[in-house]
Amino acid sequence: MDKMIRLSVFRFDPEAGDKPFMQAFEVPVTKPGMKLLDALNYIKWHIDGTLTYRRSCGEGVCGSDGLNINGVNGLACITEIAGLKQPIHVRPLPSMLVIRDLVVDMDHFFDQYRQIKPWMQTSTPVPEHERLQAPQDRAKLDGQYECILCGCCTTSCPSWWWNGDRFLGPAALLQANRWIVDSRDEATGERFDQLEDAFRLYRCHQIMNCMEACPKQLNPTAAINHIKRSMLKRQS
Amino acid sequence: MISNRQQPLSPRLSVYRWHLTMVASLAHRASGLFLIVFMVFYFILLSLMTGAPEQFDLSLSLMHSLYGRVLLWLGFASFVYHFLNGIRFLLLDAGYGESRYAMRLSARMVLAVTLLMAAGAAVALL
Repeated sequence: MDKMIRLSVFRFDPEAGDKPFMQAFEVPVTKPGMKLLDALNYIKWHIDGTLTYRRSCGEGVCGSDGLNINGVNGLACITEIAGLKQPIHVRPLPSMLVIRDLVVDMDHFFDQYRQIKPWMQTSTPVPEHERLQAPQDRAKLDGQYECILCGCCTTSCPSWWWNGDRFLGPAALLQANRWIVDSRDEATGERFDQLEDAFRLYRCHQIMNCMEACPKQLNPTAAINHIKRSMLKRQS
Repeated sequence: MISNRQQPLSPRLSVYRWHLTMVASLAHRASGLFLIVFMVFYFILLSLMTGAPEQFDLSLSLMHSLYGRVLLWLGFASFVYHFLNGIRFLLLDAGYGESRYAMRLSARMVLAVTLLMAAGAAVALL
């Protein structure tokens, strides 16, 4: 296993004042089933300590290391080197303000998440014990609740690239649907009212990059379509 | 603090890989736009063909020129694609074929049928 892995990594140093550039690195294969995050770690620990990126759990649960890998968004920690064409082009998530190297400003993304009020809203009195949910109602949350908010889908969406200030984007809308289909939530009407907007919801043009990018194999496009259908049902 | 001016926007369209579903969506809008333009050309053609004999002759020579044939071919291909993908979008809106697999497959099918029919039309027209 002495074959080298060739990478081309996006670099930007705000203090240097230079423009962003791509830097070539060569990394040895350190273990079988090596992931892209392992290669980035190798660069940081053995070649260039100034390389900056986010990571935490290293197993696709925390959603910190969403990156643009060979043109498609994904998590570095669960993307196998073996399946990637070399040199592996590693860039930050697209259409985001770059803070440094691969670290982008996620504030707007999380603010859009906050806008859909991602918590259970109820008006009925709190029952003595928990709010119960039938197994078949719970099953409706499958494919909705698994989102880890890594931002891979939203930053893959051309509609969001052009209208990200007003279009909520796939991640926030998938979460909106997650609360709309939740049988315990009692603010469905208000949620619809908030989304009923030419930009917030209806900028989706079924490009489906979100579905292709999602590292958890979710389908935000289908969730957005479900919201649209539910709104139609409410009107009729 | 770092000002916004110093913070560059990370590359997007220039680096993103073109998935088939993205091609399908973009082609839908492009073909729709082209069909609108084509309508104008079509009505001019119609009025020429129903006008004076010289105008009829002009319309004939227009349609037999390379530009005319390419335009007709583009119109045909756009129409076929927009029609088929329009049905695909309507079905998706209605909730059919919403699995990840079906979304990819339907995009592939619509594009493949359009390519086939456009190729056939190219043989016939060009």
